[in-house]
Amino acid sequence: MRAVFAVFKRELALYFRSPIAYAVAFAMLLFLGILFNGNLAQAVQYNAGAMQQGGQGVTASDLNLAPSVITFLMFLIGPLLTMRLLAEESREGTIEVLLTLPMNEAAFIVGKFLAVWTYYTILLLLTVIHYVILANVGVPDAGLAFGSYFGAWLYGGAVLAVCMIWSAITEDQIVAAFLSAATVLVLYLADTFAASLANSPNLANAAEFVRELGLQAHYGPTLANGIIRAEDVVYYVLFIIGALFITTRIVETRRWRA
Amino acid sequence: MIEVQNLTKRYGPVTAVNAISFTAQPGQVTGFLGPNGAGKTTTMRMLTGFMPPTSGKAIVAGYDVFDQSMEVRERVGYLPENVPLYRDMTALGYLMYIAEIRGVPNRRQKAMDVLERVALVDRANSRIRTLSKGMRQRVGLAQALLHDPDVLILDEPTIGLDPLQVLELRELVRELGRTHTVLFSTHILSEAEQVCDSVVIINRGEIVAQGSPTELRSTLERGGRVFVRVNVPAETALPSLQSLPVIAHAEAGMDGIILTPADASADPRPAVARAVIANGWDLIELRPLAVNLEEIFLELTRVPEVTAVEPAADTTPESEAMQ
Repeated sequence: MRAVFAVFKRELALYFRSPIAYAVAFAMLLFLGILFNGNLAQAVQYNAGAMQQGGQGVTASDLNLAPSVITFLMFLIGPLLTMRLLAEESREGTIEVLLTLPMNEAAFIVGKFLAVWTYYTILLLLTVIHYVILANVGVPDAGLAFGSYFGAWLYGGAVLAVCMIWSAITEDQIVAAFLSAATVLVLYLADTFAASLANSPNLANAAEFVRELGLQAHYGPTLANGIIRAEDVVYYVLFIIGALFITTRIVETRRWRA
Repeated sequence: MIEVQNLTKRYGPVTAVNAISFTAQPGQVTGFLGPNGAGKTTTMRMLTGFMPPTSGKAIVAGYDVFDQSMEVRERVGYLPENVPLYRDMTALGYLMYIAEIRGVPNRRQKAMDVLERVALVDRANSRIRTLSKGMRQRVGLAQALLHDPDVLILDEPTIGLDPLQVLELRELVRELGRTHTVLFSTHILSEAEQVCDSVVIINRGEIVAQGSPTELRSTLERGGRVFVRVNVPAETALPSLQSLPVIAHAEAGMDGIILTPADASADPRPAVARAVIANGWDLIELRPLAVNLEEIFLELTRVPEVTAVEPAADTTPESEAMQ
């Protein structure tokens, strides 16, 4: 635990010193801000008539805008935040010192993961400003907002954990980033792929399996609409644990390959 | 204390380290000497638990490196070859980070202590990227000392330093050697001679000789071959030197003449000097042939033109003689 905390602290501090983390935050907030602004303007206009007739103002459909867009953008955000994490340690050789310290690999991996997940959480929380704005112009559905943010938080954790696998496999950050982006896109599009599989009647079960495997199926229809189901939470948690386990194993095999 | 028994590391078909055995005693600096690619780094990586051996056994600080890796890691300070450091951290920050992972109590104090030990207190808050190569080397060494380890494993710590820094570092290693078990690798032989109490010479993954530098030297000097250089061509001087009763054989070589004495226990040099003077030549140089580890080493690790079926064959008698 001591080692996890030490690694966590260093990595998190590093995010706040690194230009890439700020660049990601800036780009994301700018993009989301523009989208939100357009969306809000449209909603206000659309609802103006309703308001005059004693309606409630802006409808709740805007609330999952930021979390949903972020989950889509994770194929960019994930690789950018994680590519350095382990690849750099291998490239620079610093992993040689770490792996000869009395700390097991899992502590090292978990510390790093918690740091990037925390950074991501902060990014996500920055968009809560949208909710605050909405609360000023209408009566947003707090439950829906919570569900979609909670879902995006878990979703992000799963993506970051998967991306870490590639950062452990290769020493090259660019390679890690591209392979991570590809992996995340495949997982994101799994439900689309499942839909096309389902066209063939023989593959209905396979289609269902693929759909359930994907990241979207556990977010879009449920959490994003404020529906928190245990199975979705369990899916993301197991996904994270599984990915971290694989990453740990890969770092361990480095010893045998080195 | 480090005890290595038949330690072997294979990378696929390549044998990097082939069944080596040696012991490094506490309170001594043991030099691990060999050319690049001899297997020094591989051996050290196995001793620190960074990679597992293919076969064989190593006991470091009383624990098996494979079965009790954590216990070993707690007791070993390791400075890897290229001194990997986090360039964006300060020296103090880096040491405190390592100390925290290691669970060293009082870590700020401890980090400052080791920085003082390596004479780097004034740069404690400088980013590592701004430090010179020599300073980084010292930060790496400080990292290895943080937890007061019983055993220090230093992989070519003097590489890339300027001459003054090399001297300082050697002095520091010698000092550490008095209280720790130090295993120190180098490919510079004079360095091993100056720093180490005991030397293990490794080449192509095999140990070719081991012993104290003095022992090694006297063993090789026992043959007592003498090198002489005079101000006339070797061919002119050769016949009269050959005819001296103390000389069994004389041959031209190394820009002078190499003399093999008739009696291995007697020093032929006075007789040779007298003969040179009697002939009216000027004596330029007169010394035992193997005076430094460089020459000893060249003899020991001379690679046969055609690699023999059993590469160990030509070195075994010598390494036995060493012990």
